[in-house]
Amino acid sequence: MGSVNPFFLGCTLSLVLSLSAFGLIMIFTWRRPKLSLAISLTVSTICLIIAWLTFIKLSALKEPLILSVDWMMSDQIRVPFGFLLDPTSLLMFVIVATISWLIQLYSIGYMAGDSGFGRYYAFLSLFALSMLGLVISSGLLQLYICWELVGLSSYLLIGFWYEKFSASEAGKKAFVVTRFGDIGFFMGLAFLVLNFGTLDIHSINSAAMSKAFPAWLLTPAALLIFCGIMGKSAQFPIHVWLPDAMEGPTPVSALLHSATMVAAGMYLLTRLFPFFSCSPTAMTVILTICTITLLLSSTIGMVATDIKQVWAYSTISQLGFMGMGLAAAGLTGGYLFAGFYHLTTHAGFKALLFLCAGVFIHHFHTNDFFVMSAKGGRRLLIPMVTVTIGALALAGIFPFSGFFSKEAILAELWNLPNKMWLGLGLLGAFLTAYYTFRVIFVLLFPRPQAVGGGHGVEEEHGHGHGQEEEHGVPWVMAVPLIILAGFTCVLGFLQAPIQKFLLGEVHHHAPNYVLLVSAVGCALGGIGMAWLDWGAKGAKWEGFIRKVPVVENFFIQKWYMDHFWRWFLNTVIYGLFSRTFTYNDRRVVDGGVDAVAFGTIGSGRLLSFIQTAFLQLNLLFMVLVLGGIGIYLLMGR
Amino acid sequence: MQLPILSILVFFPVLGILLLLFLDRKNHKVLKGATFVIAVLEFLFSLPLWFGFDSRTAAMQFVERYHWLPQYGISYYVGLDGFSLLLVLLTTFLTPLCVLATWEDIQTRVKEFMICLLFLMSGMIGVFVSLDLFLFYVFWEVMLIPMYLLIGVWGNPARRVYAAIKFFLYTMFGSLLMLVAILVLYFYHGKVTGTYTFDLLKMYGLNIPFHMQFWMFLAFGLAFAIKVPMFPFHTWLPDAHTEAPTVGSVILAAVLLKMGTYGFLRFNMPLFPQAAYYFVPLFSILALIGIIYGALVSMVQKDLKRLIAFSSVSHLGFVMLGLFTFNVQGVQGGLIQMINHGLSTGALFLIVGMIYERRHTRMIADFGGLSTPMPVYATIFMIVTLSSIGLPGLNGFVGEFLILLGTFKVNKLYATLGATGVIFAACYMLWMFQRVMFGEVTNEKNKNLKDLSAREIAIFVPLLLFIVWIGVYPSTFLNKTEATTANFCTLMAKAKETTVAFDTQHTAFTTQHSALKTQNSKGVAR
Repeated sequence: MGSVNPFFLGCTLSLVLSLSAFGLIMIFTWRRPKLSLAISLTVSTICLIIAWLTFIKLSALKEPLILSVDWMMSDQIRVPFGFLLDPTSLLMFVIVATISWLIQLYSIGYMAGDSGFGRYYAFLSLFALSMLGLVISSGLLQLYICWELVGLSSYLLIGFWYEKFSASEAGKKAFVVTRFGDIGFFMGLAFLVLNFGTLDIHSINSAAMSKAFPAWLLTPAALLIFCGIMGKSAQFPIHVWLPDAMEGPTPVSALLHSATMVAAGMYLLTRLFPFFSCSPTAMTVILTICTITLLLSSTIGMVATDIKQVWAYSTISQLGFMGMGLAAAGLTGGYLFAGFYHLTTHAGFKALLFLCAGVFIHHFHTNDFFVMSAKGGRRLLIPMVTVTIGALALAGIFPFSGFFSKEAILAELWNLPNKMWLGLGLLGAFLTAYYTFRVIFVLLFPRPQAVGGGHGVEEEHGHGHGQEEEHGVPWVMAVPLIILAGFTCVLGFLQAPIQKFLLGEVHHHAPNYVLLVSAVGCALGGIGMAWLDWGAKGAKWEGFIRKVPVVENFFIQKWYMDHFWRWFLNTVIYGLFSRTFTYNDRRVVDGGVDAVAFGTIGSGRLLSFIQTAFLQLNLLFMVLVLGGIGIYLLMGR
Repeated sequence: MQLPILSILVFFPVLGILLLLFLDRKNHKVLKGATFVIAVLEFLFSLPLWFGFDSRTAAMQFVERYHWLPQYGISYYVGLDGFSLLLVLLTTFLTPLCVLATWEDIQTRVKEFMICLLFLMSGMIGVFVSLDLFLFYVFWEVMLIPMYLLIGVWGNPARRVYAAIKFFLYTMFGSLLMLVAILVLYFYHGKVTGTYTFDLLKMYGLNIPFHMQFWMFLAFGLAFAIKVPMFPFHTWLPDAHTEAPTVGSVILAAVLLKMGTYGFLRFNMPLFPQAAYYFVPLFSILALIGIIYGALVSMVQKDLKRLIAFSSVSHLGFVMLGLFTFNVQGVQGGLIQMINHGLSTGALFLIVGMIYERRHTRMIADFGGLSTPMPVYATIFMIVTLSSIGLPGLNGFVGEFLILLGTFKVNKLYATLGATGVIFAACYMLWMFQRVMFGEVTNEKNKNLKDLSAREIAIFVPLLLFIVWIGVYPSTFLNKTEATTANFCTLMAKAKETTVAFDTQHTAFTTQHSALKTQNSKGVAR
């Protein structure tokens, strides 16, 4: 064996512990909430410590650390398993460990009293296991396996309140839709391993950087793998699972949307950035799809009335934004920094936004922010302040983290020869600021009289919180909010260190004032527009989009994407194929084969007697059959 | 001298039957207990196969050979290689679990049931180990009878007779044609080499002209395709599965279906390699139709057992797709997928059986919300469902991965179409799970269902162990099959080259083959 590197030991330890936490709770302690919580939280804390220690110790890492063991080897195909520690994976490792830890802490308050408390923590441990495994995996097959496990954990957590039909439906939808994309990913892996021989991430990236890939292999493989990313990161046209995934408990949504599930897709894009950026075709496709996603989800976010839906669509749009940044960097020969930096900051402020929403939902038992506002949402001081900080970051306002990372992405878009992409990116930024501050202004300036019966979003909690009505915000829920708000304020100023960490050097650009002004202008314009529509005294409490009812309806119907998929599934697959096939089975095949069988049995018997050349054989056979029946008859009755 | 392990395995259950004959038919506990002990002993006897198996060689191991009817070249000839090892072990592994599962389920004619079960076990092992075509055929037919009785006597009263007869007729129909082909092969071998024998390994060396291969491949293929079952010969399966008692369904799904796929691997392909290549498109497309068709039909089933039965059609389609790639990944994937299907579908039938014992219904609409009264059951059900839809980390994924990889090598379109089956599997399995386990308990009768007993959990623990083991570290199992598979693929590749040679010397070949044709027809007529 030789000496074992302590960092790999740490990685293994965090995975093994998470797995055993899951196993222990599921097998032994699921009936005991306190014990389950203790197990899960301890493990999560250990993972957190390991992650930060590794991160700090390896912050001056020059060459990636790789540990790789062959898992399956056959016929010129090598499937390695192991760990790959380089700046990209280390940063993500820390993000995942931190956010999962905060979510576990927060859930103590949020899930208190739920009958499935133990099970909930088991699933969270499984989630941590699969996501940590995904982040540090050295081979793509291992990544794919963890990728599917992430899908499984989100299936379990989204459908956590399984007694609610919509929840189990949403969980299933998430699983099946992402799997739809994963088939592409899978085929991409098969294509790659058969033609390139290994799925080792480092080898693939090195080969890509030395231009060892022929175009016929590169572009299809990249596009197929991107299918998986589309599914996971909810990009058009298979984004439809993500808004439904809001059926899960809110801390789960926070986890899913900030650092895990959806981030996994963009992480993979970052992970294989050198590989992807070798194929301009693939990068152009990615850029297009991400841009469509950005605009689609921003416009839907403008009209949603459920606070979690707004944040969900904002997640989709921000993921699109990250994808645009990475794709633009790939096309112009830039670095992965901008997109990944946005992923980092987004993890912080999106978790914050969801957890704040969770506090409101927990308190008011509704998801509709109009109702929250009417019931006095702004009186909850800590969440109100932190949600505003999160919103400012999401809108891209100085000095919050989102401002810096958005600026970095827009700078990448600026480098593209076609300025259309930059324009669309700015439009996205404008819309983001608008729908974010729509929520904030509605919460800040309540108008109880405006809430009619129109906004009826059902309460999320399936379980009672009856007697604890008067409570404020429990500290276990407040502390994560404050920590995350702290990250949101600080991360922006850490741009240079993070860049140094990721790329090994800092790239100074002369500040681009035109871009800076236009980006800030768009964000402020969006906020101003929201102020006019929702904030100001004389505001009508109507989106500006209402002036064009056709378009508004189109947005409210979510661009009819859900309708399309539902129609496709119900009418085409289920109605047309399944039913026809079943009919065919019963009538045509069964009827036909039955008739043939009955007809032929007679002639078959005859045939076997014509074979008189070997009468003895036939006789022997018959004796055996008769003997068998005889045995039965003797024993029977 | 080496112990005749294979013979022990084949005949020990028969000894067990003799023991059972002397037991009191009224005392069910003793009967079941004795059968359980016999089955466990059988499993223990089979363990030396695993440990003594030399995975470096493709040759037959544990060979035993005795003359039986020497004047006809018939011998008792058994042996084991990488193809059959896992299947034999699967059989011996599942039977004790099946006996445990009958504890509450079977209350009538217990003695006969146990005798049938042991008889079936003997026959199944016989099929997997025989290397003499005649012996194989005897076992193949013998095994039919107990299964027929299991369905017909202990099945669901409403339709059991129909299902049993359908099962019997379908299988008989195929095997009669196979018998003809076996005889043709026998005489051809005699004509060409001068020795009349049913020795399978000697037949492998034959260079059979293509037109004969063509027909014999179809004759053997039909028998096996019915057993697999491949589209469009699958319609006996839903009926047989649905009407059979739980244990019957488990054995049917886990072992009997594998005889079809095993038959292709052991007989069809090595005996008639050129024809096998010729039929690749046909069988691959039938397999693909099976995958997609089975999955789509599963989606609309209202009966749990029927749903699982159709999912078997889909999964076995995967196996066939893998076998017909003739490359190491595909064939190994197919082999491991046979085991996977045995484990997960077997477990699924057990799961349905347990709920059937409690509620006496299998209709999905009668359930809903079972997770609340039965959390342990729900957890086990979930794991098995996930294994069946090929979640990485569990066994199903390994098989599907290898099969699709192997298929991708050969034909990208087939692989893509096959992969859609994976999505459909997720659709129908999760939908089924959702309707049965999730939601609120709507039916009063489901409110106070008892969760699994210790005995029932004990049945699942070994199954789950292997479901996870294969998923996490498949090499344990793949290593055992590797040498045999590699050898098989090399032989098939060689055969492909001779096909090319065939075609170039077409004229010479035609004259030769018409000569053979006359010879052959004389041989049959005699």
